[in-house]
Amino acid sequence: MLGINDPTILLAYGLSIGLTLVCVVYGLLNWNKGGD
Amino acid sequence: MAVNPLVLISVTAIYVALMLYLGWLGYKKTKTSEDYLVAGREAHPVIIALSYGATFISTSAIVGFGGQAANLGMGLIWLTVLNIGLGILLAFVIFGKKTREIGQRLHAVTFPDLMGKIYKSQFMQVFTGVVIIVGMPLYTAAVLIGGAQFIRETIDISYSTSLIGFALIVAVYVIFGGLIAVMYTDAVQGAIMLVGMTILLVATYLLLGGVNAANSSLTAMAPLVPENLANAGMTGWTTMPVFGSSIWLTVITTLVLGVGIGVLAQPQLVVRFMTAKNNKSLNRAVLIGGPFILMMTGVAFTVGALTNVYFYQTLGKIAVQVAPGGNVDTIIPIFINMAMPDWFVVLFMVTLLAAAMSTLSSLFHTMGTALICDIWGRGRKCALSMRANQVGILIMIIASVIIAFLMPGSIIALATAMFMGLTASAFLPVFAVAVYAKKPDETAAKASLIVGTVVWFIYALFMNARYASVFGLCKALTGKVSLVGLPWSAVDPLVIALPLSAAIIVILQFYADRRNAEAAPSSPTI
Repeated sequence: MLGINDPTILLAYGLSIGLTLVCVVYGLLNWNKGGD
Repeated sequence: MAVNPLVLISVTAIYVALMLYLGWLGYKKTKTSEDYLVAGREAHPVIIALSYGATFISTSAIVGFGGQAANLGMGLIWLTVLNIGLGILLAFVIFGKKTREIGQRLHAVTFPDLMGKIYKSQFMQVFTGVVIIVGMPLYTAAVLIGGAQFIRETIDISYSTSLIGFALIVAVYVIFGGLIAVMYTDAVQGAIMLVGMTILLVATYLLLGGVNAANSSLTAMAPLVPENLANAGMTGWTTMPVFGSSIWLTVITTLVLGVGIGVLAQPQLVVRFMTAKNNKSLNRAVLIGGPFILMMTGVAFTVGALTNVYFYQTLGKIAVQVAPGGNVDTIIPIFINMAMPDWFVVLFMVTLLAAAMSTLSSLFHTMGTALICDIWGRGRKCALSMRANQVGILIMIIASVIIAFLMPGSIIALATAMFMGLTASAFLPVFAVAVYAKKPDETAAKASLIVGTVVWFIYALFMNARYASVFGLCKALTGKVSLVGLPWSAVDPLVIALPLSAAIIVILQFYADRRNAEAAPSSPTI
C-alpha cells in the first residue's frame, strides 16, 4: 500500500495517525472538563 | 555553498532579536520566583501544548533521528507511535494531572524538588539533581551539534566556529529569561516548527514524484543496503530489520524504547505539567500535542528515509555514502541544502533554531536550577536567587559545549537515547510511585533510584558496545569494547536497568504498605 509492503511499517504509520486522532477526539470531548 | 551567508546571518539575527523581545515581554511578567520557575501556574492550554511539544522536539529529532532513519529506514516510525501514545496521551492524561495537583499542593518548583517533597527526603532531591547534572549535558550537547551541523553545511564555515556561534546564540537567549519568557517564545517557535516541517514533507514528496512513486522507489532500493548493515539484519528502508538482529535491537531497544519510554520521566517536561492552571488546560493540550508530535517526528523519520531516493536519483549513491565519513548527522543538512530552494534553506534554518532554542532553554533551565536550587541550595535559597540560577545555567552551557567538541560523529540520536534511557531507568519508577501511591515509601524510592542509576551506568560503560565505545572506559581498562557478546552488546541499558529499578520499588513499596496497614489499627485515633 502506498509503495510500502511491510505490514509492520504500515501498522506503525496507521497507529501514529490513529493515536493522533485519539488525541484530537479526547481533547474535544474533554474540552470543558477538569476546570477549577 | 548554497545560501548567501549574509542573508542567513541577517535572518538569524532578526529571528533571535524577535525571540529576545518576546522573551523580554514575558520577563516583565516574571515578578516572583514561582513565575520564574513554573511560569506562575497560569499558562494557557495552547501555550502549554506548543511549549511542551517544542521542548520535546529538538534538532535531535529532526537532524539526529532523521539521519538515523536515512541510515536504518522507516522502522523508526515506531518511535512516533510511542511518542504520541506515551509521550502525549499517557503523559498528559495519566501522569500530567496528578503531577499538577501534587506539585501545586506541595509548592514544588523543580523535578528534584518534587521528588524531595513527596518522599520527604533531601537525599532524593540532591541525588535526582546530580543525575540531571551528569546525564543531561549529553542531550544538550547532541542538540547543539544538530544546529551546528546545519549551519556548517549551509554557510560553509568550520564546525568549531559553527558550534561556538550556535552555543552563543542559545546562551544569550536562555540566560535572559525564566520559564515564563521561555513558554511564550516556545509557543511561537512550536508554530514555526510546524510550518517548516509541513513544507518539508510536501516538498520532499513533490520532488520525488508523489507518495506512491517515492515510497515505491525506496522499496525497490532494498538490494542497495550496504553489506555491513545487511549482515547485521537490515532488509531495506521500508521494511523492519530481521527480528532479534543487532540492527533490530538497536532500532527497537535504543532508539524506539529508549526515547519512547524515556520521555515519561524527563525533568524538563514534568515541570511543564506543574505550570498548568487546572486539568482543563491539560485536556485541551492533548488536542494540539498529538498532531504536533506526528508532524515533527513522523515527517523527520519519513523524509530521512526518503533522502536515499533523492541521493540515488541525483548522485547514484545512498544517503550514508553522501555523508562525509559516514556521519549520519550530516545527511538531513546536506539533503536540505542540495534539494531545496534557497528560501526554504533559510526557513529551515529558522525552524532548527526554533527547535533547538526551545528545547535547550528548558534543558539549561532544568540543569541550572538542579545545580543551584537542588544541589547547592537544597531548596533554602532557590526562591531568592534568580542571578545564581543564571550563573548555574552559564556553567552548564560551557560544560555542554566542551562535551559537544569531544563527541564523535553520528552521535546525536545515540546521546539523546542515552540520556532518556538513563532518566527512564532512574526516575520513572520513583516518579510513578510518587504520583500514584497513597504513602510513597522513602526507602523503596532511594533503593530504586540508586539501582536504576548504577545499573544503567555499568551497562552503558561496559556492556552496550555503542555506548561503551563512546565513553572508551571499558577499552581503556580491559582492551575490549564490550565485556559481553551479541545479542547483549546490542541491547540498550534501559532494558536491564528499568525492570530492575521498577521491581525494587514495587516490592519494597508493597512491604511498606503492609507494614503501615498492620501498624494502623494500634495507633490512637485523634
